[in-house]
Amino acid sequence: MSFELNRKLAAKRAPLPTAADIDPVTASIIRGALETVCFEACAHLGRAASSPIINQSNERNSSIIDSHGRLVVGSVGTPHLTFVTQLTVRYGLMHFEDYDWGPGDVFLGNDPDHGGGHLPDYNVYAPVFDDNGELVLVQALQAHQGDTGGKDPGGFTLEATDIFTEGLAIPCLKLVHRGEKRRDVIKLVERNNRFATFAGDLAAMIGGVEMAAREHQALIRKYGTDKVRAALNYTVDNTEKRFREEIASWPDGTYEADVWIDADTQGTPDVKVHVACNVAGDQLTVDLTGTDDRQHLVGVWNTFGNTRGYIMIQLCAMIDPAIPKNEGLFNAVEFIIPEGCIAHPPPNKPAALGSFHPACEITEAVCIALSKVVPERAQPQVYKIGMPNAVIGFYDTGMMWMDQGVDSRSMDVSAVKGVDGWGSCPSSLGALLLSMAEESEARFPVLNISREMTTDGGGAGQWRGAPGSLNVKKVLEPVSAMAWMVSAKHPLRGMCGGNDAIPYSNHFLVGTEKEYKIELVESTQLPAGAVMAYQHGGGAGFGPAIDRDPEAVKEDVLDEYVSLAAARAKYGVVLNGSLEEYDLAVDVQATQALRKEMRAAQMAVGAKQ
Amino acid sequence: MSYRVGIDIGGTFTDFALLKGEEIILHKNLSTPEDRSIGVMTGLERLAEKEGQTLSDFLGQCEAIVHGTTIADNTLIEMNGAVTGLITTHGFRDEMEYRRGYKEDIWDATLKPFKQITPRRRRLTVPERVLFDGSVYEALDENAVREACRKLKKQKVESVAISLIFSFVNPAHEVRVAKIVEEEMPGVHLSVSHKVLPRGPEYDRTSTTVVNAYVGPRVTSYLEKLVSRLRDGGFKNQLMVMQASGGVMTKEYIDGSPIRVLASGPAGGVIGSAHTGRAKQSPNLLCVDMGGTSYDMSIVLNGAAPATAGWNMHHRYLVGVPMVQVETLGAGGGSICQINAGEVQVGPRSAGSEPGPICYGRGGTEPTVSDALLMLGILSADSEFAGGSFSLQRAGVVEAFQKLGDQMGYSAEEAAFDCWRVVNANMIQAIRRATAGKGIDPKEMVMLAYGGNGPAFAAVHADALGIKKVLVPKASPTFSALGTLVAKPTIDEERSCTCSVGSPDLEKLKSLWQQLETRAEKYFADANFTRDKVNFHYQVNMRYAGQNFAVSFEMYQCRGSQDYLFLNGAFGEKALQAFNKRHMEEFGHIREMELPEIIGVRLVSSVDTVAPPVGSGFSAPTVTATPMKIRRANLGDGYQETPVFDGDKLRPGHEIAGPAVIEETFTTIVVYPGWKVCVDDSGDYEMRKIQQSA
Repeated sequence: MSFELNRKLAAKRAPLPTAADIDPVTASIIRGALETVCFEACAHLGRAASSPIINQSNERNSSIIDSHGRLVVGSVGTPHLTFVTQLTVRYGLMHFEDYDWGPGDVFLGNDPDHGGGHLPDYNVYAPVFDDNGELVLVQALQAHQGDTGGKDPGGFTLEATDIFTEGLAIPCLKLVHRGEKRRDVIKLVERNNRFATFAGDLAAMIGGVEMAAREHQALIRKYGTDKVRAALNYTVDNTEKRFREEIASWPDGTYEADVWIDADTQGTPDVKVHVACNVAGDQLTVDLTGTDDRQHLVGVWNTFGNTRGYIMIQLCAMIDPAIPKNEGLFNAVEFIIPEGCIAHPPPNKPAALGSFHPACEITEAVCIALSKVVPERAQPQVYKIGMPNAVIGFYDTGMMWMDQGVDSRSMDVSAVKGVDGWGSCPSSLGALLLSMAEESEARFPVLNISREMTTDGGGAGQWRGAPGSLNVKKVLEPVSAMAWMVSAKHPLRGMCGGNDAIPYSNHFLVGTEKEYKIELVESTQLPAGAVMAYQHGGGAGFGPAIDRDPEAVKEDVLDEYVSLAAARAKYGVVLNGSLEEYDLAVDVQATQALRKEMRAAQMAVGAKQ
Repeated sequence: MSYRVGIDIGGTFTDFALLKGEEIILHKNLSTPEDRSIGVMTGLERLAEKEGQTLSDFLGQCEAIVHGTTIADNTLIEMNGAVTGLITTHGFRDEMEYRRGYKEDIWDATLKPFKQITPRRRRLTVPERVLFDGSVYEALDENAVREACRKLKKQKVESVAISLIFSFVNPAHEVRVAKIVEEEMPGVHLSVSHKVLPRGPEYDRTSTTVVNAYVGPRVTSYLEKLVSRLRDGGFKNQLMVMQASGGVMTKEYIDGSPIRVLASGPAGGVIGSAHTGRAKQSPNLLCVDMGGTSYDMSIVLNGAAPATAGWNMHHRYLVGVPMVQVETLGAGGGSICQINAGEVQVGPRSAGSEPGPICYGRGGTEPTVSDALLMLGILSADSEFAGGSFSLQRAGVVEAFQKLGDQMGYSAEEAAFDCWRVVNANMIQAIRRATAGKGIDPKEMVMLAYGGNGPAFAAVHADALGIKKVLVPKASPTFSALGTLVAKPTIDEERSCTCSVGSPDLEKLKSLWQQLETRAEKYFADANFTRDKVNFHYQVNMRYAGQNFAVSFEMYQCRGSQDYLFLNGAFGEKALQAFNKRHMEEFGHIREMELPEIIGVRLVSSVDTVAPPVGSGFSAPTVTATPMKIRRANLGDGYQETPVFDGDKLRPGHEIAGPAVIEETFTTIVVYPGWKVCVDDSGDYEMRKIQQSA
């Protein structure tokens, strides 16, 4: 639990010793078989779990780590967990003897200071031994839990100044010893969680890794340990090679970007992430030197494991998506993450909110920096929301409930060269699915009033960002509500001349005389009937808006993504006819003239600057 | 003599299976994409000729005509359905576009979005709101509905989907909206969500309703055309249509929910498989159907292929009606082999049927799986192919694989062999994924292989999965048409109702089941089945609070009328026990501290009909078969002289030990080393594992 430990955890791992040769085809067959087991483990968890964040929003991940602690299969699940798993497992591996690892064991880790992400991301893992008792693999399953036993339900405490406020930190704990559940230990873990469904979720995770471990054993018996190790070495090397080929195709140079968070949870403004990506031949260095390191900041501390992982998500999104995701990626990149900055905190810093911000800004900075190199894949993060409004109350039975607001992640998808923003993208938390009103209203007394897209939301551009949305909810009973606002001052940044998205805003007690805007944080009691309205900013645009095909702008106006006024003011498109009659047509001449004028004005402004 | 005819319309061929007493007669002719009913009538004329009858005499004696169609699938592939509009609750205009944030490949920033069936301008909202308990929170604004109609009319909308929040709990507002739309837009096609898919959550129900609205008019008009052609031709009974759920039902029933015919072609094959498996004492089957472009996998458990409704993404749209689960991998005979970054890659790109594999000699230049089979000696240029319609050609094949070999540093034959290995690995992993999370161990299954290419690969996949027995029906190339004849007239519907299993609302459950019964009774009566012929299966859907997936299981079954005595004080306890058993089987744990909840009822109503007979058993004396020739082939252990058998000459009792190749009229069966094949009493093949392979 120190910078020294982090250096050890992050140190490059050697290939596995093996006497076997392997051909590429057999290697990819073995890799495919392992990926399938990962898929099976995730499918098992998704079906068996109860927490909406796992089974509705899919915040779970399955991966395989080898006996040297290398990520060898990180294929399935939510991207932001894909590249964090291996450091938690490495910590356990470093204590192989101390903690008495053996066949049939299952471990749990979640400690931010021992390789983990934030506390809710429980990592349950099972070592897999061959018939000679040699460790071959570790199967890990990670999922975001609904609670972690700290001060606030859910584990997000706005004013936390250390990790102990947030909940129970577990470096490495054995849950199952040689196939036998340690009931006392499991009970302790269950006790440190507010929600009854947690026991079922934990049981589903244990069941998932145990099932996967059995499958792996069968595979190892079939091919032999040496062959499997050779296949893993091959797949890691091949990924490194393919990643380096992509890097080599990028022009040499240093590409930099700054991204800001509006403020920490105590109001200290403009928390900064700075990234410099240096490309030299087939070597890429990502350097976070210059990133904020003010020790008094509150809430904006991203764990070391997360920082490495989140950088890698963004890099992965900018290369051939078919390259298998494993340790080879890390072998191809040098990270410089200064000790003590918000991307590499000293021990005991809080970690919950940092997994949103600055974690997401780190990916965004990498994306902006490399947008000059790979514009067609320069799609920044989708999580500009500070934190969804969390609402907590009690059932008549006295049991606590919490609506974590997983319905309210917006479609903040930015455009890339050639494609308007839609769907999702990997960085960050992009694989989360929106939960549904008809599911959540049956569980929580919170009415979903509206979540429609916002006309003129998002950013204009040659390719348009996804419009943001206005999410309006009404609580039907008295509740406690928590909020943290960012991205009002610094919304998603436009790429290559595209417009920024619109600012976020968040109002409580909407429609009453007491309506107010949340500027920073809120932790309050709301009466029955109170309305909350969260404006999401949407995705940013790509390329200058006045280069967008006027016909596409016309279609956007018909679909009310863009208003008639904005078509003219932002896109320089003049339309005849009426929206009411659905008979809009582009006035080609007027549009050309207007765009010419706008270009000249932009040049003039550019010249002045 | 009375006849039953099964028809399956595919992209290239329309397949027919005529059931005449115990006898099955197969026929195939080309499909007619411009009006598929023409191809159907042509085939029926051929069958009449074979029977020495006029079409009208023949059709007059047809007791049943059963039909599987790809019309709804084609509409979604070609995206040429009706101009569709959506009316939904104020605040929920964009669910169809959000799609819950789902993207097929999240890592690919360049992936293009799916096409909107209802672009935003045709998604309109009306003020109204019903809560989860069915109470009305906000009254319906009828003027807003009329205004929405005006906007949709202006946009020349032909088909309207209506989906309001919690309409499956209280449909009053939806019913009223539908009434107003009928008044304001006379003649428009209507799809109302509480009828199409009466369950939550909103995205599932809305998407299903919108897709229904989009494909509905085409499905309906096609079926109308076919029904009138059949009637004009002399057919006097009801046309029965295959549904994705694996049952068949009348056109009148399908008209109410045309989306139910999506994927009905593959469903026929699965139902046929289940029937065959039951007859051959193999109730648990892994069915694999490999054709020219795809590899379809499905599962039969305890002799049945359960239809499930869940996250069925079909042609990029969520479809929530019960479907027999068929997983598809883009791997078929036409899948293209290439080298990508030093790795051999096969598919999903396909040469299709035009130009097709190089060996078809129709201008294909890229090597495919079929070409690899030719290189390996599994297929041969010396034999007839596809029922003798053409011969395969070697020209260009070796050269194409040599190009791959050059990149990998080895020979053309080695390249072909690696392609074969890779496509096998892809298919094996796909099977594992198709069975993932379902609590199924492939090792305990029997594989059933069909489609033109299925039997050439089956035993390799079986081996890798630990399966010891593979069935290949003689009729495997036209298996789906045969399957439609097996399928029973079935209505499978559910209604939503949430209550604790500790104190179930028995009155409510009863009234929902009765509603479903009344509906079923009406449609079965239209099809000339009286209530005493109908089997009713009363099922409940249950889960732990918060789980996304419910497990369904049967609480009672009966034929004809009944008195609901099973709904008594012990009902909750019985349901809990059944749930615990299922949850343990599927997930390996139950939660001692939690009580699951009932979330809905389901009623599966069906009528037994005469199915094609399937024989079984091995009473014929065992005879070693004689090969017609020997050829050099590589069946996984390197090239060796391999005996080749003529399928037409094999009889019950014949036995062949691998390595061997059997050439059938429309397919090739490979007996891999370590396997042997026996012909059973009905002429079907059974392959068995006889030793551990290397």
